[in-house]
Amino acid sequence: MLGEFEYILVTVAAGLGESAYGAAIREEIEESAGRSCSIGALYTTIERLEKKGMLKTWMGEATAQRGGRAKRMVRVTPKGMHAAKEFYEAMMGVSRNASWATGKPERAS
Amino acid sequence: MGYGQAGACVMSSLAEMAAIFVAPKDRDAVLGDLAETGASGWSALGSVLGLVVRQQMELWRAWQPWVASSVALAGSLLLLAVSFGLSVNTRHLLRGERGYGSVLFEALLMVSWAWTSGFVVGSLSGKTRWVSGILCAIPCLSCVLRFQDTSLSRLCVLLFLLPGLVGAVQGVRCAHLSHRTALTLAIAMTALMLAWGGMYMRNWFLLLPAWWLVAHAERSKRSDEKEAA
Repeated sequence: MLGEFEYILVTVAAGLGESAYGAAIREEIEESAGRSCSIGALYTTIERLEKKGMLKTWMGEATAQRGGRAKRMVRVTPKGMHAAKEFYEAMMGVSRNASWATGKPERAS
Repeated sequence: MGYGQAGACVMSSLAEMAAIFVAPKDRDAVLGDLAETGASGWSALGSVLGLVVRQQMELWRAWQPWVASSVALAGSLLLLAVSFGLSVNTRHLLRGERGYGSVLFEALLMVSWAWTSGFVVGSLSGKTRWVSGILCAIPCLSCVLRFQDTSLSRLCVLLFLLPGLVGAVQGVRCAHLSHRTALTLAIAMTALMLAWGGMYMRNWFLLLPAWWLVAHAERSKRSDEKEAA
């Protein structure tokens, strides 16, 4: 099963599709998840997910904006999509009675 | 150029230098990402160093570096004592106070203990081999600096280093021995030890790497057979 940050990364990479690479994924995580994402966390997680067969990466084009350096492109594999779907369903399952998911007022303890 | 700009330039250059320690396939991508997002100075240096630290920590999530480091440290401590014992016995041999056979057995055992320990460390360390190297070097250095027997050279405690290093280099090159070689070596070493009569706890511990190589070779053989089937 994926960890929380792994799930976020896979989901963001899947959403970016063909234009998923390090800086774009990082920016999207910071914007959509509202949390900071360090380069260290990003690249070590990409590496780990690639070893698990959930991501595939390759070196892409180099641009002048990047000082002539190549991008590390990322694609989510079917295994990665399956794992992300499993994580999503598990989170939905465990959250179904939670007040923030049902919209009902919280029970007093 | 103001001091602020000059400082940022220096930090960016340091970030590029620090990127040498980043895994090669990430190096270009990371520096490119930093350039694209406009990160410079301390921020760029911090990002690169953070990645270096995380990549090193990631390596320690596996059990192999832990075993390699433990063998490097414990093996080094034990083999220092073995080397010293061998040097003392060689001196006795030269004075005619000891027979050739016993010293020869001891020398053969030391070479094989050092080689097998080195091989295990080399084959398991991977990218953490610098840590194993440091853990082996610290006791050696400490022992050499504190050596007090004036009748022997202080370097006599390092006799195990050469076979150990040869084993480590061979361990890095080929991850495991063939099953037959590993088994022959382990049996020969055990027999030699029994014949020599050195059945101390220390010596049994030094035999462990040889038998670990047998177990590893057996596992590799089985997985090869499984793949072939």
